[in-house]
Amino acid sequence: MRVLTVDDSRTILAMLRHTLVNAGFEVLQAEDGKQGLDVLKTEDVDVVITDINMPVMDGIEFIKHVRASGQHQSLPILILTTETSQEKRDQGKQAGGTGWIVKPFDPDKLISVIQKVVH
Amino acid sequence: MSDLDDFKATYFDECSELLNDLEEQFSAIEDGERGADRLNAVFRAIHSIKGGAGAFGFSGLVGFAHAFETLLDYVRDGRVDLTDEVVALCIRANDIVADFVAAAREGTPLDPDHGAEEKARFDALCRGEDDDMSGEPMEEFDIEFVPVMVNLGQDEPEPELATDTFDAIPFEPADGHWEIHFAPHSALYARANDPLLLFRELAVLGEISVKAVPGFVPPLADFEPFGVYCTWEITLNAKGINEGMIREVFEFVEGDCDITIAQCGPTAVLDEAGAPVVASHITDLDENDFDADMVAEAAKPAEPEAEVLSFSELAETIKPTAAARAAVAAQPEKVIQPLAESGGGEEGGHRPAGVQSIRVDLDKVDRVVNMVGELVITQSMLTQQLDDNLRARYQELVRGLEVLAQTTRGLQDAVMAIRAQPVKSVFSRMPRLVRELAGKTNKKIRLEMIGENTEIDKTIIEQLSDPLTHMIRNSADHGVETPEKRAAAGKSEHGTITLSAEQAGGNILIIVEDDGAGINRERVLDVARERGVVAPEQQLTEEQIDQLIFAPGFSTASAVSDISGRGVGMDVVLSNIKKIGGSVHVRSRTGLGTRMTLRLPLTLAVLDVMLVKVANNPYVIPLSSIVETMQCSRADFGRVPSGARVLQVRGEYVQVVDLAARFEMQSEADEKNRFVVLCEAEGSVKVALIVDEIIGQQQVVIKSLEENFERIEGIAGGTILGDGNVALIVDVQGLKTAAIHKNAA
Repeated sequence: MRVLTVDDSRTILAMLRHTLVNAGFEVLQAEDGKQGLDVLKTEDVDVVITDINMPVMDGIEFIKHVRASGQHQSLPILILTTETSQEKRDQGKQAGGTGWIVKPFDPDKLISVIQKVVH
Repeated sequence: MSDLDDFKATYFDECSELLNDLEEQFSAIEDGERGADRLNAVFRAIHSIKGGAGAFGFSGLVGFAHAFETLLDYVRDGRVDLTDEVVALCIRANDIVADFVAAAREGTPLDPDHGAEEKARFDALCRGEDDDMSGEPMEEFDIEFVPVMVNLGQDEPEPELATDTFDAIPFEPADGHWEIHFAPHSALYARANDPLLLFRELAVLGEISVKAVPGFVPPLADFEPFGVYCTWEITLNAKGINEGMIREVFEFVEGDCDITIAQCGPTAVLDEAGAPVVASHITDLDENDFDADMVAEAAKPAEPEAEVLSFSELAETIKPTAAARAAVAAQPEKVIQPLAESGGGEEGGHRPAGVQSIRVDLDKVDRVVNMVGELVITQSMLTQQLDDNLRARYQELVRGLEVLAQTTRGLQDAVMAIRAQPVKSVFSRMPRLVRELAGKTNKKIRLEMIGENTEIDKTIIEQLSDPLTHMIRNSADHGVETPEKRAAAGKSEHGTITLSAEQAGGNILIIVEDDGAGINRERVLDVARERGVVAPEQQLTEEQIDQLIFAPGFSTASAVSDISGRGVGMDVVLSNIKKIGGSVHVRSRTGLGTRMTLRLPLTLAVLDVMLVKVANNPYVIPLSSIVETMQCSRADFGRVPSGARVLQVRGEYVQVVDLAARFEMQSEADEKNRFVVLCEAEGSVKVALIVDEIIGQQQVVIKSLEENFERIEGIAGGTILGDGNVALIVDVQGLKTAAIHKNAA
């Protein structure tokens, strides 16, 4: 199973990679939404995990573009967010996000959330 | 190093970058650039710092960053005006974030009230209160923060954490039978959620049976990809669950479906509704070992009574929908092309992910640098082996060696370029320092920075932070005057410290200049004499007096201030800078200011030198410090009254150092056959070195003497020559300083 992780924080990317690789996933990384779109152009992935606050292209825009691209309407996209408020989460969902993961994430929870949205 | 330490190291690296960036952003904001881009960048940086801090459980940092971020969010939305006061508050808050990061890195606790005042002000601002007299902080800032550490596999299991609101619903877990009515909206499909997956989740809780209740199903051609053509009735038999746990399964689709959940008494039988039931007992989802004996005609629209589908059959009914979605997706007119209008604002093509740069462990680069160093030595050794005889006989070999020399040089440059970094990373720490110093000394000081993009070897940059800090402190503490004194002297109340970097030939010059009062030479000389740094009768030029501030144990501040310290500052500057092959020079103009210049090599590893012999031992002298060479027989020596030998060059008397005598060796060479190497130390102070023989110029790779042996006065390091011999590198600056001290003693 391949996961694309999109986050501008190297720390978060590193922790995601560690957790996901330990769980047997293959991990692709991008540092902002635009890079994420570029990855999706050439790579097949099973699920995307994306941050919201990022430079160049934020997570909301990224999700909108992914959904609008016509190729990835059934691709599960999980929003990674520290927001305790419902607001960002709703924006992400509105844009086409499948679900969310609250940072800081518990590794088991992360894996179980992914399994929840992937066939 | 454990994985967690690795993550922390990554995190703190990232924090340093973010904090440096924040410094820049806030400087620009302070200068009036208050565009949305800047505010967004600042918000993101604080947000990132908070995110990582959460992962490691740095709760103080999380709490403060959260409050700061909230204020920034308000400012971004225009709910709080970005007044000068708010800008000043943000800049202070940024420093506090840096304190929290530093405390987390060092593991040292901070004052529990650290930043409390600023935090309270954030609250007040966000609540729209103008006055500073806020009482209770806003509730949302008092978030209970529960750190969730990364489980690295070897640790004890993590405690259960209430991460979901549903867990808070006080439903008693019970054994029972649940009826769930689930009617997805089209939006549920549009967000890549899938009823099948939800059922799979539900099946984790207990035994389920799922009944599709078809609605109106159009002909295939009219199928909409995200159309809703059926609802679902689910029965769940489970032990020890509550409604909250069921709702959690539907967490992501809340709002995208209609759902009702009803508990229908303890462990009901599945077929109590009287429907033709074939229950599928799902225990292990990964092995699709479902009972194959299912109702075959699933989801017949016309049937008055719905059929119960097996789990695998559910998958079948859903697949056509997915296929239809794909079919529509493939239609060109439905494909929206939003990339051109993407928010990035970057023109041209999209750069492919991750090919622009790679992160390489510095150790790996250092290995390459070292090997290239050895290659340089080997190459020069090979070249030295060529005598005229060989040259005549093996012309091809000679040509090959020439190419090798060129390639080696190119390789060396290329490797050094990898290590080069802009000095910005050090410079950007200075604005904060200056702000703090100005605050402590009640002075008004502006810092100007020039040439931040000048690149130097990374190792040098790392060594630069301490000396630069000391120099800036010195300028702020001793250089720039109080506003009153400045006004009295007819200057602007604001003092200016200029920090600049430039490349000059094979060197980088870093200059710290202030427009203060200049060095009080009388006082410097008094103190120097008092402390025996300078002999009582010794006459020094103004320039020489200025350099005394770098002498060990020297301090001119009449009262020891808590800023520049007890004079341990400036001699540390000198020794640190010497360690990296640089030199320091200070030039002061009374009433106008002081200028301190650091001259640094572009790279640490390779040095152009002149190879000489002293008492049959090879020594090398850095080419950059040599002014000229001459034969002793043609030199004009003399003696000063103290008995010291001097050389007269174009009307200037230059101190003479006989290297053989200095290094306690016997030279067998005849005096008139020896050579003078006239060197210029920092600040155009010259010193004449006497050597036995001059052999030639070459490049050498510097090896540290301190690391391999110990520090020796007058020696800057060692190197291995082409023939395998070790030669010591003469420290011209060190010899000169030592000579002054010796004279004084």
